[in-house]
Formats: sequence, C-alpha cells, structure tokens
Amino acid sequence: MAQATIKERKSLSAWLSQEKVFRLIPFIMVEATFLLLLAIPFMLTIYISLLKWRANRPFEQAYFHGLLNYVRVLTTEDFWWALGRTFYFAGTAVFFELVIGFLLAMLAYKQFRGRRIYITIFLIPMMVVPVVGGYNFSMIYIDSGPLNQILAPITEAMGVNPRIRWLSHPIAAQWAIIIADVWQWTSLTFLIFLSGFTALPQQLTNAARVLGASRWQIFWKVHLPLLKPAIMIAVIIRSMEALKLFDLSVLLTFGGPGTSTETIAFFLWRQVWQFNKYSFGAAASIILLFIFGALIFYGIYLLVRERSIVEEESMR
Amino acid sequence: MASITLQNLVKKFGETVTAVAGVDLDVSDGEFMVVVGPSGCGKTTTLNMISGFEEPTSGSIMIGERVVTHLEPGDRGLGMVFQDLALFPHMTVFENIAFGMRVDKTADAEVKERVSKVATTMKISHLLSKKPAQCSGGEAQRVALARTIVTEPQVLLMDEPLSSLDAKLRIEMRTELKRLHEELKSTFLYVTHDQAEAMTMADRIMVMESGYVQQIDTPLGIYRKPTNQFVGTFFGQPTMNVVSGRIDNGGAPRFVSEYFELSIEPDAVPASATGKAINLGVRSENVTIGNEGAAGEVKLIEPLGDETLVFFSSGDEEFLVAKVDAEREFGPGDKIHFAFQSSAIHFFDAESGVRLE
Repeated sequence: MAQATIKERKSLSAWLSQEKVFRLIPFIMVEATFLLLLAIPFMLTIYISLLKWRANRPFEQAYFHGLLNYVRVLTTEDFWWALGRTFYFAGTAVFFELVIGFLLAMLAYKQFRGRRIYITIFLIPMMVVPVVGGYNFSMIYIDSGPLNQILAPITEAMGVNPRIRWLSHPIAAQWAIIIADVWQWTSLTFLIFLSGFTALPQQLTNAARVLGASRWQIFWKVHLPLLKPAIMIAVIIRSMEALKLFDLSVLLTFGGPGTSTETIAFFLWRQVWQFNKYSFGAAASIILLFIFGALIFYGIYLLVRERSIVEEESMR
Repeated sequence: MASITLQNLVKKFGETVTAVAGVDLDVSDGEFMVVVGPSGCGKTTTLNMISGFEEPTSGSIMIGERVVTHLEPGDRGLGMVFQDLALFPHMTVFENIAFGMRVDKTADAEVKERVSKVATTMKISHLLSKKPAQCSGGEAQRVALARTIVTEPQVLLMDEPLSSLDAKLRIEMRTELKRLHEELKSTFLYVTHDQAEAMTMADRIMVMESGYVQQIDTPLGIYRKPTNQFVGTFFGQPTMNVVSGRIDNGGAPRFVSEYFELSIEPDAVPASATGKAINLGVRSENVTIGNEGAAGEVKLIEPLGDETLVFFSSGDEEFLVAKVDAEREFGPGDKIHFAFQSSAIHFFDAESGVRLE
C-alpha cells in the first residue's frame, strides 16, 4: 500500500517535470487569474443585465427580462446627457492639458539654471493622490475661499459679483471640475512632451537653420511633425483616463447642482448604489464597455500605426 | 563662389577648455580644403563657427568679401552636409531637397524644375517620392548632397559626411565628391579624421591638433615635408618609423640609436640636427632591406598584394616596418640587414618634435 503511494508520487513528480507540462504552468496561472477576476464577473454582469432585479427583491426572485434593460438604458435621457457631458469634460480638459503641457515642455527642454527644479515642481500634481487633490480643490473653491479672493480685483473691476459660486452654479461647477483635472494631469502631458522635445535631434535643427529656415519655420516644418508620435500618445492616454472621470465629481460637487457635473461613471454608480437599479446598471455598463472599448481599440490602432511609422523611419 | 578667410579664430568653452586656439586660414575661391586631425583637435568646432552654430570667443570669419562672424547660419550663403546626414525623416526625398526653397517661398514650378535637375545630376530621380529611411546609405548620401547643392551655396561645408558608409562605398563617394567639386567649382571645406580621405581629395590640407594649426599645405607637401613629428606620423599608412637617437658627425655622419647605427649621406643631414637628441623619421617605403646596413630580424609580414609590409626588429625593442616588393619573400625569424634612403629621412627635435632643416 505504502509502496504504491510512493510509486504514484514518483510518477506524479515525473509527470510534472515533463517539459510540456512545465511550459503549461504559467499559462494555467494566467488563465486562472483571467477566469476568476475578469471572465466570471463579466459573465455575471451580462447575466444580471438580462434580469429584472432591484434591491427590493432578493436575487433568487429576480426573473428573466430579456433585453428590456438595454432598451431602457438607451432610451434614458440622463444616460445620454451624462455620456455627452463626460465627452465634453474630457475633451475640454484634455485640450487644455495638451496645450499647457506642450508650452511648459517647450520652456523646460532647453538647458538653463534650475531646470531640474522646475521640472520636478511641474511633476508634483501628478503624484498627488486624486482624492487629496480633489479635497484641496473643494476648499479652494469655497465661495469665500482663496480662489475668489485672488480673483476679486479682476472680478470687481469687471463688475461681477466676486463671490463666484464655483461649486453650486451649473456652468461654474463644470469649469471647476475641468480646472481641477487640468491642474492634476497637465503634469503627465508635460512629461510626455518633454521627452519628445529632448529626443529631437539637434542636427536636424542645424540642417534646417543652414538652409535658411526661421525659428518659426523650424518649429512648424521640422519639430512639430517629429513630435507627432508624442502628441498622439498624450492624446490617447489622457482621453482614455479622462473618460473615466469620477473622483472629482464626487469630491467637489457630488454630481450637482442638479446633474450638471454628473459624469457617466458617476451616473452608473448612482443608478446602482443610490437607486439600487442593479440590472439597469449592469446593462448600462455593458453598453459603455462597447462604446469605450471601440474608442480604445481605435486609439491603440492609431498608436500602433504611428509606432510602426516611427520604427520604419529609425530603421537605418 | 567665394573664398573663406579665418582670422585668429578662438573658441573657449568656459574658462579652462580651449577648443580652438587661434586659427588663421585662407581658402581661395573654388578650392577643396580638407581640415584633418584626431578626435578633439578642434576641427569640428572650427567648422561649427564657420557655419554659425558656435559663436567664436574672438576672431573673425569672412566668406567672400563679407564678414559673417555674427550672422545666422542661414544668412551666410553656405551649404552643409552633416555627419549623420540630418535628412528630415518625415519628408519625402523631394521635400527634403526642396526644403531650402520652401522656406524661401520659391514658386512651385521653379522648385519642381530645380529639384528634378539636381536629382538628375545626383542620379536620384527614382527616389524622389520615397522617405529617407527607404534609401540605402549611398543613396541617402546623395540626397543629402542634393539638398545642399540645390540652393547653389557659395561655400560647401562637410562634417565627416562619409563616416557612416562602409569602406567600399566610402572610396567610391570620395571620387564622386571630387567629381562634384570639379563640376560645381564652388569652395569646399571638408572636415575628417581620416588622413587617407584628406590625401585623396584635398587641394590643400590643414592639419590640426589640440586646437592649434600644425600645417597647411598640399597633400604631397605635407607627406614629403611634415612640419613636425605629429604631422609626419599622422599621414601615411603604415605609420612612419620613428627612432630616437643622435647624429655622430665624426668624419662620415652616422645615426646612432640605442640598438643600431647607420651611415647617412652628408648632404641629407641638416646642420641643426647634429650634436643633440633627435627623432629620426622614415617612411616604410624608404626603408631598404638588403645585404648592407644594420642587422635585424623579421617578426611579422603583411602581404598587401602588390607590396608586402615587413615588420622587423633591431635589437630587442626597436620595431620598424618596411614596404618591399611583393616578389621578395620573407618569413618570421629571417635575419636581414636594413638601411634608410638618406634623402627621404626626416629629422625632428626630440623634445619639441619640430622638423629640423
């Protein structure tokens, strides 16, 4: 009996030490993680999205509802408003992040005294935990807070009430969120553009100078085209992130006033955890997955294409 | 068409580093001038001051009759070919060549005409719609040249443009550049560290070392009469033999080194060389191996095909090389006798390295 166990064990270890089995082990681990962490919740979400299930009813009593949840999501006006608002926030914020980051990188890439200190300072916002950043901004934006006090001479000269209601006026609140996002993430675009500028070959600039190009022409005809990959990377990475905007909405305005700062992520969270519409939320998140998935794949396609062009050009 | 005149050109980086320590140079109109020297000798800095990328610490630069010392590179009327060619990777070959005219806002028709004309001259017409990355090394070289000459510069500066090519192509391009120079008749200033490139292409050569001009002369002038030991050993392949010793002038003059003695014809010995420590320089082709002279032993041979290099030693330490006819056969260990052709011997001061005449 004992002998048999030993024999079995031997054969098991022998089986494990086979080359083809050994090669499978990492594969199995990856697959297991994928199944546990991604596939099962994903399937469950799809399943829930097909049920009629709200918190007033236990899960066992939920019944099959077909695609009705999807129809409801697509016909809910608030869903489309939140989606549109998210694109508006992301578009505006990313635009300013790109422009400001680009200009800062242009200033900082040349050698001058204290350059490293400036670069370090410019990078700090990115390192701040978003919740902390959001909390700080919520204090800055108070009606009698520091921002309004700094702006007071200007607003008074313009004849505007200096107590701008940053967090309770629908339009001001939207800008409050955009400004906070720009403050935090311009660091990232700055970093991307700085490395882009640093990688520009000096000889190309010199060649253009000898051929009589002005600084302005060198910038437009030589530098900017060469920076295109960096610009693409910044646009895509930032857009992907900005579409997920959630923390600033929660911390600064909690979606308000009304729903004027409700982003799509916040809309989802509110449907599920405030209104307890579980299957509605599941359906909405699946729809979003497809919309954002398509956008991200398009972004990745653009990146890969840009990269292959760059690689082709540096083949020599 | 223009000349280049440098007057006492100095470039210092910070307080301590002197890259160029006073260069005076006259390149006449239509001349092919090569500036040569080892890495860090100041040749590229000199070129960068002429092109306008570096501001000189002092001195002046003239192109033609115009003082250009403080002008922008684009206003100096010169063209430049860079070491890594510096073709714009995002533009087609056509746009690369047209760049100089585009920034001048030249009319489209003229741009087309001039680009296609220069492309025909440089034999790159079939490449015009390609990107630089799709061109081979030699083709990219031609594109870079085409971009430079299409603007018809008075002066062409070249900063080691052939260094990125393989050996065979490099030798072909040398001929091509010389032909181009004959055709354009503009002034060429060419910087290289390769003495063979300098010898084969130049009308005149300027040799630099640690920021100082060592000699300015024709290739053969430099080869035959190097102004000091540095220039003597820098030019020529294999390197010139240098033996330290002194001249013993009791009766017939003899050169006495630690390991061997050789008699030299009296006419060949300059008066200033006697009675002090000297370095004797002699090129390998002026070393004769035969039955007379000092004794030596062959260590190594390198057949070149038409000729053979014989590396031999005299005594235990003094290593010399001779270039002999390929017909003559030697092998390591052979006992030989060698002598120097008196008329081809160079005498250098042992301390300063200056040529003694």
